[in-house]
Amino acid sequence: YNFTDCDFEKIKQKYQKTIYNDLKEYMNGAKSTQFNSTVSCNNKSDCLAEIERLTFSAPRGCAPLAREAFALRTRATFALQCPGYSRTQTNNTQAAKKTKEREITTKKCLEQVSQLLGLWGRFCRTLWKR
Amino acid sequence: GTGEALQVHIICFNFETVRVTWNVSEPSGENLTFFYTFDSGEAYGQCTHYILRRGLTAGCILDFQDQVLHFSIRNATHALFTHSQWASFYLKPGAPRNLSFQWQQEKVAVTCPGLAHGGLLYEVQLRSNFDAAWQSKEEETCNVHIEGLDAEKCYCLRARVKTTEAAYGPDSYPGDWSEVSCWYGGLPSDLCPDVPISPGFPRFILICS
Amino acid sequence: GESGYAQNGDLEDAELDDYYSFSCYSQLEVNRSHHSLTCTFDDPDINSTNLELEICGALLEINCLNFTKLQEVYYIKTKKFLLIGDSEICVKLGEKSITCKKMNIVKIVKPEAPFNISVVYREGANDFVVTFNTSHLQKKYVKNLMHDVAYRQEKVENNWMHVNLSSTKLTLLQRKLQDDAMYEIKVRSIPYSSDYFEGFWSEWSPSYHFRTPETKRAE
Repeated sequence: YNFTDCDFEKIKQKYQKTIYNDLKEYMNGAKSTQFNSTVSCNNKSDCLAEIERLTFSAPRGCAPLAREAFALRTRATFALQCPGYSRTQTNNTQAAKKTKEREITTKKCLEQVSQLLGLWGRFCRTLWKR
Repeated sequence: GTGEALQVHIICFNFETVRVTWNVSEPSGENLTFFYTFDSGEAYGQCTHYILRRGLTAGCILDFQDQVLHFSIRNATHALFTHSQWASFYLKPGAPRNLSFQWQQEKVAVTCPGLAHGGLLYEVQLRSNFDAAWQSKEEETCNVHIEGLDAEKCYCLRARVKTTEAAYGPDSYPGDWSEVSCWYGGLPSDLCPDVPISPGFPRFILICS
Repeated sequence: GESGYAQNGDLEDAELDDYYSFSCYSQLEVNRSHHSLTCTFDDPDINSTNLELEICGALLEINCLNFTKLQEVYYIKTKKFLLIGDSEICVKLGEKSITCKKMNIVKIVKPEAPFNISVVYREGANDFVVTFNTSHLQKKYVKNLMHDVAYRQEKVENNWMHVNLSSTKLTLLQRKLQDDAMYEIKVRSIPYSSDYFEGFWSEWSPSYHFRTPETKRAE
């Protein structure tokens, strides 16, 4: 999906007011800067594409994050603020449903979520009010 | 980061430069070298602007990019410390410049040219000569209005730029305060006249220029 | 008179919406991380015996939630609000939805009332420092509030003066108040206008009463 037509300001607001709290809660006290940043992005839509990839992909050694509150809110935000996004999502939601229990939060999961905090931070910094 | 007994400190000054300094717990007298890149796809390059301490390298100053800084501190044989993190996560904004104050009866508007980066808060603090503590107000742009003031009192104000954790992570720093500027009846005043305030209040002279 | 849907089945849809219209407000993190949603029928005389309320959409991991009924108030306490996008709240009679309304939980927020309002007179400064507290300073979501401080001289009916502020401290100038007079002061809060969360005024805080000193500063 190409994120260039999204309402970036509204996405930033939803991130700062809801998704960010979820990501912090998921980190459960672990500092995102404890982990090396291995993923970066350059502009708004590039950042959203990377955020989507990391949020809904299942990294090795970590249960898919797609069922976490931050992922559900990320999906709802993209569906609301990115034209046509919902139509591209039917199969991803099926994949999320297949996983049953939520495995314990491994270090791998924390590392992945810390990458998300970095990407979302970069996204926020690209949006400033004159 | 990963590495042996090396304390590393990173600070990014106002989106302009990044300063990485290191301390060796058991100094061995050898010169360490600093290699870095902002692009994980590219080879690391060596620091071109070292900081020296007692003749040995103790840090590096490099130009800022809002990207992940990948760096490695090495001795002659191997890497002592490697780390990759967004440079902005160590931001310390500069003090606001060209502050302007518009007074109108019982309110003041404080404005300044904002920084071209999102996720910042502009904080103005104000205190009358009767107040023990500063009163704060923050906005997302450098356009802060404070109301409910008394035209018959003298007020001192200062401003700074703060980072939000959502955009700059948990390890960034609040910016330095601007100089304090004092006003009486809407006109600049060198300082606010001292008044007998409750004993608990520290007495000091505010020098406003 | 009283009539329920069952006895009055021939109402048109528009009339149904009107007849069974209801209002709701949400309170986020009202009990640690639990949120609440409270709804009541606008017509207090409505016979709501068999009527239930259900919310669907914009919920975490579930599709719908049923309200609990306490006398005439329908109430939900949950952590499952997505806080993004619209939900649909329906009045139901058994399995049949009589009327539904689209609502966004974050746009119907009613803050908790402020508390601990107090006034301190500063003789040298010729003013009164008013301070109060709000539970919203410790919350994750609804942190940015606008407060409405109202004060009046007692025995002067409905002559309330209002000051709007976003902080929890303000000063009232002595020269703007009557000498040697009793004053009543109270405060309420509403989500800050430009914030993500919007909604309604909270209840008023309990009032605080104070007396102004006799002699005013020489003019």
